[in-house]
This record gives sequence, structure tokens and C-alpha cells, in this order.
Amino acid sequence: MKTFDLAIIGGGPGGYVAAIRAAKEGLNVALVEGRDLGGTCLNRGCIPSKTLLKHAEVIEEIKDSRTYGITVNDFSYSIEEMVNRKNKVVNQLKNGIKGLMKQNKITVFEGYGYVDDSKTVTVKTGNGSEKLQANNVILANGSKPFVPPLPGLDTVDYYTSDTIFDISEVPSHMVIVGGGVIGLEIACIFNSLDTKVEIVEMADRILPNEDPDAADYLAKEFANNGITTHTGSKITSFESDNGKTTVKMEKNGETKSIQTNSVLISVGRTPNLTGTEDLSVDFDGKFVKANRDMKTSIEGIYAVGDLIGGFQLAHAATDEGIKAVNHILGNSAKKESIIPRCVYTFPEIASVGLTEDQAKEAGYCVKAKKVDIAANGKAIAAGETSGFMKIIAEEKYGEILGVVMVGAHVTEMISQATSYMHLEGTVDEIESMVFPHPTISESLFEAGSAWLEKGIHFN
Amino acid sequence: MAKEVFMPKLSSTMEVGTLLQWLKEEGDPVEIGEPLFEIMTDKINIEVESYEEGVFLKKYYQVDDEIPVNAVIGYVGEENEEVPDEPPELADEEESSDAGESAKEAEQPAAEQPEESATDKVRATPAARRVARENNIELSSVSCSGPKSRVHEQDVVKAINTNRATPLAEKIAADKGVDLTQVQGSGARGKIEKADVTGYAAAQTEPTEEPERVKLKGLRKAVADKMLESTQSIPHVTLTSEIDMSQVIEVRKSLLPVIEKQTGYRLSYTEIIIKATAHVLGNHPKVNASLVGDEIVMNKDVNIGLAVAVENGLIVPSIPDADKKGLAELTEASKTLGLKARDGKLSPAEMSGSTFSISNLGMYAVDGFTPIINPPETAILGVGRIVEKPVVVDGSVEVRPMMVLSLSFDHRAIDGAPAAAFLTELKDRLENPYGLLV
Repeated sequence: MKTFDLAIIGGGPGGYVAAIRAAKEGLNVALVEGRDLGGTCLNRGCIPSKTLLKHAEVIEEIKDSRTYGITVNDFSYSIEEMVNRKNKVVNQLKNGIKGLMKQNKITVFEGYGYVDDSKTVTVKTGNGSEKLQANNVILANGSKPFVPPLPGLDTVDYYTSDTIFDISEVPSHMVIVGGGVIGLEIACIFNSLDTKVEIVEMADRILPNEDPDAADYLAKEFANNGITTHTGSKITSFESDNGKTTVKMEKNGETKSIQTNSVLISVGRTPNLTGTEDLSVDFDGKFVKANRDMKTSIEGIYAVGDLIGGFQLAHAATDEGIKAVNHILGNSAKKESIIPRCVYTFPEIASVGLTEDQAKEAGYCVKAKKVDIAANGKAIAAGETSGFMKIIAEEKYGEILGVVMVGAHVTEMISQATSYMHLEGTVDEIESMVFPHPTISESLFEAGSAWLEKGIHFN
Repeated sequence: MAKEVFMPKLSSTMEVGTLLQWLKEEGDPVEIGEPLFEIMTDKINIEVESYEEGVFLKKYYQVDDEIPVNAVIGYVGEENEEVPDEPPELADEEESSDAGESAKEAEQPAAEQPEESATDKVRATPAARRVARENNIELSSVSCSGPKSRVHEQDVVKAINTNRATPLAEKIAADKGVDLTQVQGSGARGKIEKADVTGYAAAQTEPTEEPERVKLKGLRKAVADKMLESTQSIPHVTLTSEIDMSQVIEVRKSLLPVIEKQTGYRLSYTEIIIKATAHVLGNHPKVNASLVGDEIVMNKDVNIGLAVAVENGLIVPSIPDADKKGLAELTEASKTLGLKARDGKLSPAEMSGSTFSISNLGMYAVDGFTPIINPPETAILGVGRIVEKPVVVDGSVEVRPMMVLSLSFDHRAIDGAPAAAFLTELKDRLENPYGLLV
């Protein structure tokens, strides 16, 4: 039986990054992956959706070209070629990871890893199994789309994020169940492909966990762009009829039904517990329980990423994976990481830290300042004027507690806010820093200045 | 023309004086000889008098400030006369690289630096001030490496490099009055973060029973430094001998009323021991020597230092020419010096010049001990209590009042045999004190 310093179950952004870090620190590492290196993020999540969103953006720009004095008389697209390009992107990145595994001398086992309390890992492949022994184990099993037991759902065809990015035909109508990040991004893709999209969300607004100003702003933009949202609505049944699906829902006691030819279920993700059946680790609800250093209840067994819940974001998993390796190497996590959150809708939403309500709940004396991007020079020049930037800061020291950005390219700009929080800069430093002109990022300066009541273009 | 008031140098070892109190306020008229302020040196507390007549114009320091000798600490002159807002630099301490900077600095009117109010009180070289100003560092937050409490450029540079804090941490520290130099940073390369400051502040305010901390300064610091220097540099050897004090007790009993009548002071064993020691030292010049640099100085005078416990330390006033003084004179000298020492009224002269010291712990339940030499002296005598013990006298056991003498000597200057010879003669002299009269 081969022995390793560290065995990692799952080759997603939590697992493979931890493997590289551990290998670079001199550990002998095994990585067990049952499906595709890169995990959900690379194969069925972040990267495929961002690829198709870019395609959608190009289509939007062509549709809008007249605004810029450009007439495009005729254009067409092929969903097959779009999916092919997506696959190329995914394969390029997957090969990159494969190369990194080799370069760092990480032993990759292709198969599902089953772990027991003694840290013996049984790798099961289609035609056999292999055992390996590890001193430490990181469980980075990830998650899979959660499909709720809705009445009649088993009688209809439906997509999840696992299948939607390989779609072969663009439907004319789509019902998206769940108004979270995944559902909204896919809504944008298909809206650009001229699918009539209707979103059904149980909560009284889309993105129920995000800043209410941002969620409301996006809801309005969606409405302007022709995406219908049914909030506060509960699906009562699915009925299949001759290739058509009838979705019935209820809102405030009133029933409604929509006819559609495609359904996407995106109500959330559930941890992938395959391979943990023999483990006696403690759970926190349906998630494996892990502490600040990612330790589970069993010494030497760590858990990271979607398996332990939390943000369920790729970069959160990566950070957790590195923390687990650090702890194996004897270094405890010094403080909580600040995890930014990005939604790649049109317009994008990016945020970091606490929302206004969370900050107040945490006992801070909160002052928030929101500044619209509408008057920003670069935004007007580019025709990307929707959105705002909001700083949520504590009044006494100007400590930045949270930042919310809505608009084009904000996912690229949120790290500026994260840097401030990570390095403990305050509103005063935002106000005294020089931002390049013309950039949309100047809005952050405006927000900081306005927060201090020193606004230049805003009060 | 206003005249500077300097921190006086009251002894060869004095480097700083601690300001205890101002006896005049700015604007008060001052006469020559009137006390201006009181300071504490490593040896004494003393009132410093004015050499000038006029109006006390300016004081630059506050109570408890440690001020280097020869520093200008104030001005006396005519009413409303202009004096600098900042004390002039000590010319002799300028680093050569600072010289140009210093000239430039002096030309600047004080009004150009109104923001430096807190920084003004800190003693610093012009270069240190410039670097501090350029980097927005409060000089008061910089700890200095120099012996004269002056902040040098390198101290500021060090502070910049080691005392980094995030903007948020700095704000919180300023608000909560946390001294960032006391905070351990947990961030990258020791950067101080919010949690470090709040954690430190919380620990400071915890209601646990904190031990009382007294800063090692003034006399206590002087004693500490001297003791360390002595034990680290001098190879000590301690010899002990037990003395039969029967005859000394007789002598004291008969002379006590005589001396008391003559001087008003009661003769104690200490004076008899001083007398005997001074006498015997005359025959053992090596034990009365000083070791200065690489020379052994055979002192001709026999000046006996007497260790006196005072509130915050130990002072050794000196009885000059003890070998030439009679017991009445010795009694008066030792009693008055002891009193002055306890009142902090000794003059610098009264505290210097001893060639051999005596430390008497005989009033406590102490027999022998290992006294520490008072450099540059080369020996010290420790005196224990007198206690009645069974001793063998001429073949039979008798009860006798016995006392242990402990002689520590500097083995660099004195060897065992001459030290032993001295102690033996001293024992003989104390056991036969009438010999002193011969």
C-alpha cells in the first residue's frame, strides 16, 4: 500500500490548489479525482458560465451597435460552436492543471476516494480499487446541484448547471427555478440568445443573500431587458404534455401557470458526500463540520470548500484548502479571510464584507454611502452607465466593513475594496488615494469622498 | 540678554538628572542664590540655585523628565525677553553628518513648525527630526538608543521599519491611547493590525490583579547599575572571621556617656569598628587601595565609606581621614552623615572620596554575608550582629558575645594572604581594643 503525507479527495479549486501548495512545501501528495480535474468550477460552473456569458455579451453589443453608429445588418450564431469554444476553454485550463500536477510531482488517482477514520483511502475506479495510506487527508469533495422533490418534477426533463452548458438547442422559453447567482447568470445567457426567460424565486426578491440595493437594481435591469421574475412564488407542480411543460405556482394564495419548453433547476447545491460513508466526522446540518483551520472532528482529517458550506465559492474553497495545508504544516489561521462575492450578470454585482444590515447586527455604528455610476466619464463613453458603488463603513474610525458594486466590470474592481479591507485601510485612505481618470473605478473614490462629506461630483 | 539655566553635572558619574519639582514658575522674579528647581541624580536630591538675577522666562521640561547634564532647561532674563520655544541642542553631541542640517534647522523660525507641539518636548537630533517629519512619525513614540535620552536618526528609521501599523490600527491606537511600540503585530512582517491593538487594549483594561511596576530610575537605577558593574567586573572573594566582642562592649559602655555628653550623639559599635578598621588599614595599604584603569592606587588617606540604607536605595557617604579621628569625632561624623543621607541632604563632596567601605547589618538577625565592593575601592567589610555563643576559652566553654566580619576583596588588586592578614589584625584589634589607644 502506497503511503502519502497528504491525500486530497477532490481535484476542484479547493483540492488541486491545496495539493500544489502542499507539494511545494515538500509534502508527498496524492490527489484523488473521480471525474474531471478542476471540479465543478472549471467543468460545470464558473468557467463554462463565464465563457457563455462572454458570448452573450458579444451578442448584446452587436444588438446595441446602432447606439455607437455601427449598423450590423445581419448576424447569426451557432450554439454548437459556442459550446465547442466553451469546451476548448475548459480543456485548455484542465490540461494546465494536469501539467501542474505533473510538475509538482503530485500523484493523481483517477477514481472516487473513500476515506475511513484511519486515513486509509480506497480509490474506486470502474474496474477495480486501490488503497493508499495517508498521514493527513483533506476532503474537498465539493457539491452537486440540489434538486428539490417538487411534485411532477420527475415526469419532466429539466436541466441543472451540470447539463445546461452542453445544451444543443436554444429553447424559445425557459423557466428557471431559483433566483440565486447560478440561475441569474444563466438567465442572462439565454436572454441574450433570445430565449424568453422567467425566473421563479421563493423569497421576496432575487439574490436574497445579497445587498438589497444591488438585488433591487438588478431586478429592475432584468425587467428592462425582458426577463420576467416571479418572486415570492412557490412551485406547486410540473406537468408534462406533448413535449411542453406546464409549471404551476402559487403566490399569495393566487395560482399561476406557465407553459415552457425548458426548465432549469438552480435552487442551490448540496454537498457531495460520496466516499465519506465510513467516516465518523461531525456534521453541521448537511455539511461536514470544520473549524477555522479546516479541521474536522477527526485528527488529521480536514474538510474544505462546498463540502463544509459557507460561501460555496471557488476562491473560498481555495483559501480553505491553503489554510488546511498551513495547519498540517503547523501554522494556524491568524484571522478570518475576507471573501469577495461576484455575480456575472448584466450588469455585474460584486461585493465584499458585511451588508448594511449585517454590520448593524454586528453592533457597528454604520454609515453607508452610495454613488451612481451614471455620471462617470468612462462609463458614459463606453455606454455602460448602469450601476452604483456603495461603501458601508463604521463611523468612528471609517473602518470599511463592506463594499457593494453594481455595474460593468465591477467583478474586476472589487479587489480594490478587498485590498482596503485586507490591509485595514479606512475611508480616509480611499479619499486621499489617486484614482486614474477616466475609469469606472473612480466611483469608489467618489463613494469614499462622499462618505466623508467631501464628494467632488456627488454629495 | 537672557541667560541659560543648565542641568548641573554634580558628580563624575552623573549623566542625567531627574526633575523633581519646579520651585519657580515662568514669570516669577528670581534672585541670585534662590532655588529654581529640585533634581534627583544617581546619588542625591538637590535644589539648584539661580546664578542670575531677573525674571524666570522659560522652562522646557516637566516633572519626572530625565534631562542630560549641561542641557539648557530654562532661561532667566529680563521681563518679556524673547527666548527659543525649543531648548537649544547640546553642541558637543552633534553627529558630524548632522552639522549642516543643524545649521539649516536653526535658521527656521519656530513658527514654521506649529504642528510639532508633542514632538518638541522630545530630545532628538535635527536629522532624526527631519526623518520623523518626512515619515509622519511622532518622535514621542520613538524609543531612543543613545545614553542621553536623545532620539537619533537611526532610532526613527528603526521605528519606521519595526513599528508599522495599518491605518485602521493607528486610528484605534490613537483613540484608545495605546502605545503602538508596545503592541506585537500579527500581520505580514509584524505589521500591527486592528485585532492586535484591540487585543492589547483589552488586556490592559482587564481587571486582574496586576503587579505594581516601578520604573528603574534615579537612585534605584544608579544602585542597580553600580551593583551590576561591580559584580560583573570585579572578581570578589569573601573571607569571614568571628570576633569576640567582650572588650569592645566594655569600651563602648565606658565611653558612651562621655561621648554623649561631649557631642550629644550615642556611641555605637559601628564607630568603634570604623576606628579599628581605619587604624588597621594604615598598616595594610593594599586593602585601602583603589583600582583605576590598569593602576592600583595606594591611597594615603583613609576615608571610610559607610553604607546607609535610604528609602529607595543605598548611599555611601564618606568619613574622611577616619584614621585620624577620635571616637567622639567619628561618632558625630557618622551620625550626621547618616541623618543627611536619609534626608537626601548630602552634598556631592560628602559622597565621594571613600577608600574603603563598611556595611553594617548588625541590627538585623544576620551573621555573615558577602558584601559587594564599591568601586573603585578594592575591599569592603560586612558587619554582622553580636550574638552570645558558647566558645572555648582556655580549654573551657564560655558564653561570649560573638560577631562575624565578612571581608570582600577585589582579587585583581589583592591576594588572599594580605586580605587574610588584614582581617586577622582587625580581629586582634577588636578583641584587644585598648591597643587602639597606644
